[in-house]
Amino acid sequence: MQFGIFTVGDVTIDPTTGRAPSEHERIKAMLAIAQKAEEVGLDVFATGEHHNPPFVPSSPTTMLGYIAARTENLILSTSTTLITTNDPVKIAEDFAMLQHVADGRVDVMMGRGNTGPVYPWFGKDIRDGIDLAIENYALLRRLWDEDVVTWKGKFRTPLQSFTSTPRPLDGVAPFVWHGSIRSPEIAEQAAYYGDGFFHNNIFWPASHTQQMVNLYRQRYAHYGHGTPEQAVVGLGGQVFMRRNSQDAVREFRPYFDNAPVYGHGPSLEEFTRETPLTVGSPQQVIERTLSFRDYVGDYQRQLFLMDHAGLPLKTVLEQLDLLGEEVVPVLRKEFASLRKAGVPDAPTHPARVAAAAEEARKGKEKEEVQS
Amino acid sequence: MKLVVVSAGLSSPSSTRLLADRLAAATVAHVDAEPEVIELRDLATEIARHFVTGFPPARLAAALDAVAAADGLIAVTPVFAGSYSGLFKSFFDLIDKDALTGKPVLIGATGGTARHSLVTEHALRPLFTYLRALVLPTAVYAASEDWGDDGLAGRITRAGVELARFMAPATEDRAPDVDTAAAIAPRSLTGAITSVDPLDGFRVVPFEQRLAALRAE
Repeated sequence: MQFGIFTVGDVTIDPTTGRAPSEHERIKAMLAIAQKAEEVGLDVFATGEHHNPPFVPSSPTTMLGYIAARTENLILSTSTTLITTNDPVKIAEDFAMLQHVADGRVDVMMGRGNTGPVYPWFGKDIRDGIDLAIENYALLRRLWDEDVVTWKGKFRTPLQSFTSTPRPLDGVAPFVWHGSIRSPEIAEQAAYYGDGFFHNNIFWPASHTQQMVNLYRQRYAHYGHGTPEQAVVGLGGQVFMRRNSQDAVREFRPYFDNAPVYGHGPSLEEFTRETPLTVGSPQQVIERTLSFRDYVGDYQRQLFLMDHAGLPLKTVLEQLDLLGEEVVPVLRKEFASLRKAGVPDAPTHPARVAAAAEEARKGKEKEEVQS
Repeated sequence: MKLVVVSAGLSSPSSTRLLADRLAAATVAHVDAEPEVIELRDLATEIARHFVTGFPPARLAAALDAVAAADGLIAVTPVFAGSYSGLFKSFFDLIDKDALTGKPVLIGATGGTARHSLVTEHALRPLFTYLRALVLPTAVYAASEDWGDDGLAGRITRAGVELARFMAPATEDRAPDVDTAAAIAPRSLTGAITSVDPLDGFRVVPFEQRLAALRAE
């Protein structure tokens, strides 16, 4: 199982000081946070993609390319890459390039984007969101899996004998997660391709997450990729920790009460009861995270949102120390001991290259037997 | 049969609830149903939280589900500023857009003066028409002076008989039109349809169909 962090990349006022970081400060903070993730032994760093203020990460592969050069083991990913408004050709090229730069430490999470005005800025319409996700991804798949592509569709100019370069590293494209919160169509898409399904559950009650993941698992089996338990599932989560849980609540409350995504609605207590948000001691975070398994089954990737609500960089780095030193080592051990037999590991490039080689060898043997 | 009564009265007891109860009694006199009353006052903060968090707290989810699963609905609001109350509108803003399709709805309103009596026609009826409900012809408005008047009792009886008649199961086995079939199916906690597909209430369109629909001719 992989553990990591994902960032939205929002520029948010720190309510305790009244000050917002500049875009430059925020971008540098995100880079520092990613490097810290590797330092404390996390597996994954994923960045969001946005094209409107107050968000900064409009160019994820630029950012991940820098992080690739500054890290050795961290898997670089997204949360999410907009499969609707980006040209699938450019996604194919950018992420194959990043694969080579990062020696395969790359995967990608597809998402639609829920901000209506962004679509027309890229010549699209949010009402076509699902159809765009389906057509663009079908093309992206072919651009990675086939060397020469001739293609015609509804949304993009046709392609004649086109080769997307560079080709995926070792002939194996980045693993794809499909992220969706509410759309069963996307769970169905992930299941159809046998790709991963990431449910960003951070603002949602467990019952909803369970329903979406269960749908994906059933359909994954329906399409013949394995048993429902073998489907590849990722979840989000957001936490704030201090050794003493009262200290965590006291320190985080002003951030919760004023954050654009949390504030001025339910109380911190109500929100932590109804969603995965956990504010307390590392032990409380461990117990809460382990409980996710009770309603989605054994899963492969857990990403935490740590740099939220306008928390200053120094605080976020302290949080990552606690996460990497006290929480994740216990979670690794506990999840591993609970895991049922036959549940696959989280996907990595070397493992997928080996699996592809094995597949090719079997195919060849079969041919020889037949001839 | 399930009869759900939504009352947006704010005081306790309220004249809005009083009208709602009388409408319910007039209905169950003619159809075998146990009315379930939803007092929006009790759900007011949960309704506001649903707007800011995007999901309903458990009690509100149960209320929304009850409305969606009802065979008939009575909806009564006080008149505020010449229209339905904000709380009443907020509750119906949170209803799944298909949850009321084809459902018989009896509308009622209360106010301090008879001058607002057309509020049922210019405010409530268009709201439920938008939600594709079957809004019954008789709507009941009760001003302060109506409570001591015989006319109100007559209108309540007529409205109850109408709702009971439309709640009764159809005698012949007619297939509803396609657009309505999914919408009137039972729903799960989150409002998803439960009878169309066994997979936890999600209606799955096989992926090949979606791909094929996009293929260039």
